[in-house]
Amino acid sequence: MDFKKEYRIKLVSKEFLNEDTCYLGFECPEIASSAVPGQFVNISAGTVFLKRPFGIASVNKENGTFNIGVKVVGKGTAEISGFEPGMLVDCLGPLGNGFDFDGYDNVILTGGGTGVFPINFAYETLTFLGKNVTVCEGFRNASQVILNKPSYILTTDCGDCGIKGTVIAGLDTIDISDPAKTLICCVGPIPMMKAVSAWASEKGMNCQVSMEQRMACGAGICLCCTVKVKDEGPDGFKNVRCCKDGPVFDSREVVW
Amino acid sequence: MVSSSLSVKVGNVSLKSPIILASGTCNFGRELAEYYDLSILGGISSKGLTIKPRAGNPGVRVAECDSGMLNSVGLQNPGVHYFIENDLDFMKESGAGVIVNVAGHSYEDYIDMITTLDPYKDKIDALEINLSCPNVKEGCMTIGSDPAAIRYITSKLRSLTDLPLWIKLTPNVTDIKATALAAQEGGADAVVLINTLMGMRINIKTRRPVLTNNTGGYSGPAVKPVAIRMVAECSQVLDIPIVGCGGIADYQDVIEFMIAGASAVEVGTACLIHPALPVKITEDLDNYCKENNIVLKDLTGTLERW
Repeated sequence: MDFKKEYRIKLVSKEFLNEDTCYLGFECPEIASSAVPGQFVNISAGTVFLKRPFGIASVNKENGTFNIGVKVVGKGTAEISGFEPGMLVDCLGPLGNGFDFDGYDNVILTGGGTGVFPINFAYETLTFLGKNVTVCEGFRNASQVILNKPSYILTTDCGDCGIKGTVIAGLDTIDISDPAKTLICCVGPIPMMKAVSAWASEKGMNCQVSMEQRMACGAGICLCCTVKVKDEGPDGFKNVRCCKDGPVFDSREVVW
Repeated sequence: MVSSSLSVKVGNVSLKSPIILASGTCNFGRELAEYYDLSILGGISSKGLTIKPRAGNPGVRVAECDSGMLNSVGLQNPGVHYFIENDLDFMKESGAGVIVNVAGHSYEDYIDMITTLDPYKDKIDALEINLSCPNVKEGCMTIGSDPAAIRYITSKLRSLTDLPLWIKLTPNVTDIKATALAAQEGGADAVVLINTLMGMRINIKTRRPVLTNNTGGYSGPAVKPVAIRMVAECSQVLDIPIVGCGGIADYQDVIEFMIAGASAVEVGTACLIHPALPVKITEDLDNYCKENNIVLKDLTGTLERW
């Protein structure tokens, strides 16, 4: 009997990026070869009941591996960050819809927190595709900065490194010559994505955001992780599934 | 191909295997077809449908628990007309038995649903009447907690269709035998035991319920002993078959439910973690039948009480 997208995979690498965030590498050629930026995987966490979703942070098609970033926020993520290389883990993926870069010459990637992981995958992919990429990432303070590259625009809330302020302060430094050919993609907390969406709209640019909701299945079957999007029906909105219809949405569709 | 030793009957409904995907954990099957061939299934019970589309409950809809989860989806569904246009044929063509789960807020809603679905009886194997959803304010569990109301609505629906009527009951009652008997007296072809147990979780920092709906339905392996007890109790008093549901996660759980009195079972929450679980359960049941030289349906109601 044939079944797909459900794998038992091996953890092959692990490093801590700061005191509560680690970077895990898994061997799974199927996911490594088919995943696109913005998609996620669901990983079993040991003793907790539900799998946990993580945005894919990087793929290596040659080695058949992919990476995720795990920030410890509760029992499940604490267990996953305690996994050691060599362990076998149940995984579903790749799940959801990724970013759509088609038709854009320039892409601005922005985000913060664990949003930097999918941004990393998007950066690697766009660089490979030869697109003009600008990255602007925001963190609370210097100790939270992870996966940062010298070419990135960096902002911190307290200003102890990079530009002081939110990612909007960083985005304001970018010279946007052709807004119609420029896409901005944002992965971060809801207030950040809402602000970036408004900023993009002011500049006349399209914006794609990666929404996050408490999920159960990740496969689109339980309808637990809904996102409100605009609708022409009597309610003016409808609930769609973050995991299956997203997680990436055109920011103008989202009811913020 | 599923071995013939797994075939079962629920009243007049023949299923190639006892495994039915539980309503609300498989949508209409389409997404799961990305994981495995649905034709191995005995049936798919559709997402709970209502006459008009429902947006469902706002806010947080899932709260994880020990060995299970609470949900408060609130019957989000596209409405029965959209379902007939867009999903019914897919279910039929999947090769699995088609069970349509019918929900409502009033007697009239249920009656409207049956008269809407009855013309499509060629594509439907059974109607599962949801008198047990804990996540909507009116109808469903309110009707399903009152034996007189269950008897009334079941007999009303019985008069409107020849399709098999499976009444899905709530465990949130004092005496499950009384509600199951009421369904039987109303003319039900089977009862489905159990829907979710009503529960609550609280965020101790905010002192607010985790679920925006405050309460939700508890499902998963933790509820299995409750479901098995209810199947066993009802099996002693009912003449109609029972479809067991609640916490099934492996083939041994299926066998346990069947010994307790179930003719078929529904698998739900466990598939949210392992979408392809029914494939594994089907293979394991097949091996079990071979090793023990039995056909599965012979297990139903073979409980030896102390």
